[in-house]
Amino acid sequence: MSYLPCGTYFETYEDDQKWWRTGFIKGKMILMLLLLLIFPFVVTGEWLSVAHNINYYIIAALGVQLLIGYCGQITLGHAAFVAVGAYCSALMILMIPWPQFMVDAGLAYPVSMVCSGFAAAFWSVLFGLPSARVKGFYLIMTTMAAQWITVPLVITQYVSRIGGRGHAFSLPPGTFKFGPWVIDNDIKIYYLSLFLVVLCLVAMGNIVRSKLGRAWVAIRDNDIAAETMGVNIVWYKLLAFFVAGFFAGIAGSFYVSTLAAVSPEHYEWFYSLFWVGIILIGGVGSIQGLVFGSAFVVLVFKLLELGVIKLNAVLIDSYPHLAWMTVKILYFKEAAFGLAIILFLIYEPNGLSYRYWQLKNYFNLWPFSYTGKGA
Amino acid sequence: MADIMLQLLVTGVMVGSIYALIALGWVLIYKCSGVLNLAMGELTMIGGYVCLAAYGGFCVMQACFPGFATVVPMAAAFMISLACSLVVGLGLGFVTERVFLRKMIGEPILAVIMVTVGLSFFFKGMIFIVWDPDTQVFQPPVFSIEPIEFLGTAIGEVYLWSFVASIILMVVFISFFKYTRWGLAMQACADDEMAALSLGVSAKFVYAMAWAIAFMAAGVGGTLLGNINGLNYSVGLLGLLVLPVVVFGGLNSVPGAIVGGITIGLLENLSDGGLTYLKIVFPSEWWPVTIKSVAPFVFMVIFLLFKPFGLWGWERIERV
Repeated sequence: MSYLPCGTYFETYEDDQKWWRTGFIKGKMILMLLLLLIFPFVVTGEWLSVAHNINYYIIAALGVQLLIGYCGQITLGHAAFVAVGAYCSALMILMIPWPQFMVDAGLAYPVSMVCSGFAAAFWSVLFGLPSARVKGFYLIMTTMAAQWITVPLVITQYVSRIGGRGHAFSLPPGTFKFGPWVIDNDIKIYYLSLFLVVLCLVAMGNIVRSKLGRAWVAIRDNDIAAETMGVNIVWYKLLAFFVAGFFAGIAGSFYVSTLAAVSPEHYEWFYSLFWVGIILIGGVGSIQGLVFGSAFVVLVFKLLELGVIKLNAVLIDSYPHLAWMTVKILYFKEAAFGLAIILFLIYEPNGLSYRYWQLKNYFNLWPFSYTGKGA
Repeated sequence: MADIMLQLLVTGVMVGSIYALIALGWVLIYKCSGVLNLAMGELTMIGGYVCLAAYGGFCVMQACFPGFATVVPMAAAFMISLACSLVVGLGLGFVTERVFLRKMIGEPILAVIMVTVGLSFFFKGMIFIVWDPDTQVFQPPVFSIEPIEFLGTAIGEVYLWSFVASIILMVVFISFFKYTRWGLAMQACADDEMAALSLGVSAKFVYAMAWAIAFMAAGVGGTLLGNINGLNYSVGLLGLLVLPVVVFGGLNSVPGAIVGGITIGLLENLSDGGLTYLKIVFPSEWWPVTIKSVAPFVFMVIFLLFKPFGLWGWERIERV
């Protein structure tokens, strides 16, 4: 929580715990929502896809943030749960003979989204079971194993066989119908993603403020102490895996609509590490950090791509042998991402959200910025 | 049947010895500095690619200067390339430790692990910026593809030499720890850092040395793996098998790393062989195509549930 501006006091606990505590914050948040709503009419399609990529990463990394940032259970296999969600949603849309009234009402996709959330959640709990017994590095190993068992074995070799379509399932156009809206262009995908992000972030924010969230934080800070305080750590750890898996399932189900296809290559181990990297860059244990992290990473990737393409366009006439740079753009991104993780961990271990916090406080306390703690 | 079994066993032990070598480097870093290194796959790739580049350089030299082959014969060229990869590994190990890991001393364990994840992204990106991501092989082949008769089974020459090289290097590393001053300093630091520091052992030097040795061991491992199947992305995944190996053997046990490496090598080969056998005996389309890459991880999870500290790892007793 940041410092309040001078002269602002709360008399009740409810006032102090509100989401939007002052009129300024309320105005700021409404303005932000309005900006997000008019965003697709301001930018071109390329940046819209950047935006829904950011939103996808926010939802997908939300579970990672929950497990690592709030519950202290390090997971390096989250892409597996997203994959379960994506495949569950795609298969449900394709294989279930939906009654006509449901198709007309556009319920097939939302229902499959909720179901894929539950499927991913149960799959996640299954691999969270060892957390009852092991922790730290050993838990990392079991979550890694979740990745290896789920994606290359179960999904590539078994789930992909269903329906005899080969590895990549593609979904016919018009199947993604969310209520009365058919999700068929970038703007609609953007609004869908925005809706889901707001929904998930509000849900997460409220869970974290509840008894559940406090139990998770207690487990993160010291699990043995939490147990002596009466927190049932096995139950709460499994709940953390459940909720994280649910968000992962929603993310996977959403991503299917952007691609209109699913294939195992979108859920490789790379992505598991990628989402952990996002929360490290944004700030561990902060929901804002998640948003900042995904926006930062996706934008840096985009700018890197644009930069290399522009640079190449300028240089290609005089240095034709530099054409390899565009071919290897993927590896430039990968190296830059790795370097960003390392530099953030070394020089800014609290991530971007901490910088934002400092900035906010600077203005809240201005011109008397001395807080007595040098913050 | 029996000869196929024997074949699988021998191949498993020999590939396992490479894993054991890589795992040795991992265990060393963990013992000395407590860093759980997830970048081992990339370390493996770097060694392989450096050796390949040096070897390619020799081939070019030979093509350009006809007399070159008499000065440096091809067999020596490979040894020199391997030495190149060792030297580069030594240098990179020192640099990595100095630039990235030293700043993380005393930070929380997640931060240190994630630095190594960052390193793995960084190294992988850099490797494929410098080298071609398509599969590359040692050309001309270093080891002949004619199989050798060994213990009544046919075995590729490269496997045999990998086994020999791994054993030699393991003996070298272990005697380094047991008999040299530096090695003893590292052992002291691994045993009790505070006591070692008070006796004048430089912890910084020990950490740097651990990373350098890990780089070198992984480099040799990568070169050998590259000789078996060619160098590409998947060598990094093979290097990652070091994690099941150390979990099996215990994170801080050198004998555990060796036993674990050979066990995982055996497991990989036997699981695949067993699967093929089952497919023949009970034909069904529901057998998975391959479980070679998955089997070690499945085994690891099951093993963790029963023996979370590995075969010889130290059991940590926690106090509030």
